[in-house]
Amino acid sequence: MVRVAVVGAGYSGFNANSPDLSWKEITYEAAVRAYEDAGINPRRDIDAVVTCAEDFWEGFAIFDEFCPDQLGGVLKPTFTVTADFLFGLANGVMLIKSGLAEIAVVEAHSKASDILTFGNVVKFAYDPVWLRPVGRGHPFYLAALEKSYYSNLRGYCDYTYAEVVAKNRKNGRLNPDAPYSADLTADDVLSSEPLFYPLRKLEIAERSDGAVVFVLAKGDIARELNPEPVWIDGVGWNSETSNYDTMSFTAVYAMKAAEMAYDMAGIENPAKEIDVAEVDDRFAYKEVQHIEALKLAKAGEVDELLESGYFGRKGEIPVNVSGGSLSVGNLLEATGAQKALEIVLQLRGEAGRRQVDAEIGVAQVWRYLPTATGAVAVFSR
Amino acid sequence: MVFNEKITNPAELRHVQGRIELYWIYTSGEAGDVFFKKLRDEGKFTASKCRKCGHVFFPPRIYCEFDFSETEYMEISGEGCVLAFSVISYDSDGNRLEKPEIYALIGMDGTDGKIIHLLGEIEPENIETGMKVVPVLKPKDQREGKITDILYFKPVS
Repeated sequence: MVRVAVVGAGYSGFNANSPDLSWKEITYEAAVRAYEDAGINPRRDIDAVVTCAEDFWEGFAIFDEFCPDQLGGVLKPTFTVTADFLFGLANGVMLIKSGLAEIAVVEAHSKASDILTFGNVVKFAYDPVWLRPVGRGHPFYLAALEKSYYSNLRGYCDYTYAEVVAKNRKNGRLNPDAPYSADLTADDVLSSEPLFYPLRKLEIAERSDGAVVFVLAKGDIARELNPEPVWIDGVGWNSETSNYDTMSFTAVYAMKAAEMAYDMAGIENPAKEIDVAEVDDRFAYKEVQHIEALKLAKAGEVDELLESGYFGRKGEIPVNVSGGSLSVGNLLEATGAQKALEIVLQLRGEAGRRQVDAEIGVAQVWRYLPTATGAVAVFSR
Repeated sequence: MVFNEKITNPAELRHVQGRIELYWIYTSGEAGDVFFKKLRDEGKFTASKCRKCGHVFFPPRIYCEFDFSETEYMEISGEGCVLAFSVISYDSDGNRLEKPEIYALIGMDGTDGKIIHLLGEIEPENIETGMKVVPVLKPKDQREGKITDILYFKPVS
């Protein structure tokens, strides 16, 4: 069986804004670091390039035309996945497993600070006939509705989500690249105004800029480049439906994606086998949903475990030890990239003061509002 | 190395502001056409039932997403109950709304489906999940065959 490893990882950011560099330049910066890390020359060594982007986040059409040069990918097989980095990672794994490439590059970035009309771009993703024309409210209403529905279903109270915010914002304090890290308590969160009731502003990840580039290689080549690479043991992705009337509002997409990735990785008991997890927390309740979906806890039991510190930096299964998106910021299609990057750094022992002891880690991402789509990747050292 | 030469004076940073004007016609589709014409002309609600599994879809559609077979239309009351609600203080541009809008996820009676729409004639503190609501439509002469022909849902008095 062909195994695929991460032999190089580079990133630029993560910052609340980046007015000095264009989105191409932050990508170039990340790429230079990834190739340096892998010890390769991209013009000579890479066989394929996968970029991840969505035209409306970029502000121009046919994004894929804009991406080979800053990655050293000119005159090479290149395509863009209109989804998060973890979907691109899955494509990179497929390129190598199929034999079409031996070394593949996967990239995603966010220049969210360039977007002047974020709320309207999000709303543009809503069904234009049935949903978009309803009301004038900010599209976060959909997350607020999901939070409300899910909390009623599970019996979780707001304190649980406030604890997620406090945990992640504090975790970010040990991550030098987490612009929104803060020393917050759950009570601070609960006393903030619910601008999108029942969602409070502090439960929502602010936007940030950055780029992440991974170099993937086929097993034997990976070992030549790096005696101890980080292996990608499993990838999975799933979409429920585009219809709000048949969506689960319990992150079934993440559960199915995790089952696919766990199956490929040979993981039978995730709660026992996974040492560290980075999950999508762009709204605090999403972290709770995703912990359940990844089977790190049983449905309805996340609140007690959170309170006991089980998912804390020093707990049984640290979740979002990087600070998560609540600290690092919403990186749009690079959200999963930051999560995968954190797992790679943790497995390499390069996570600095936030280092945890881990051999197997999982990264998970949701495709943001208004979707019920997500992807999962399992890594090991 | 190019990154040795970063701009350190923010006053020297350049950017270009851009805007895109985009226009579309979004076709409602066959099921949408049936629904919106019936709503406009008769003030009535339509759902669709899968011929195979019996799942009743709202909003209606011509195929079943569970077993990929066809559906048939059926009339429903348009009434439902609140499954979840949110009170939104800002518009899409991030400006504070004069009056917050109440969005609700409403389970539609006689169907397996839901609608997301506004609640009206009620204050947020009086809303409860499970509350029975009925649609309030625009007057017939103002209806256009759009989702906004429903002004909001209100509690049953």
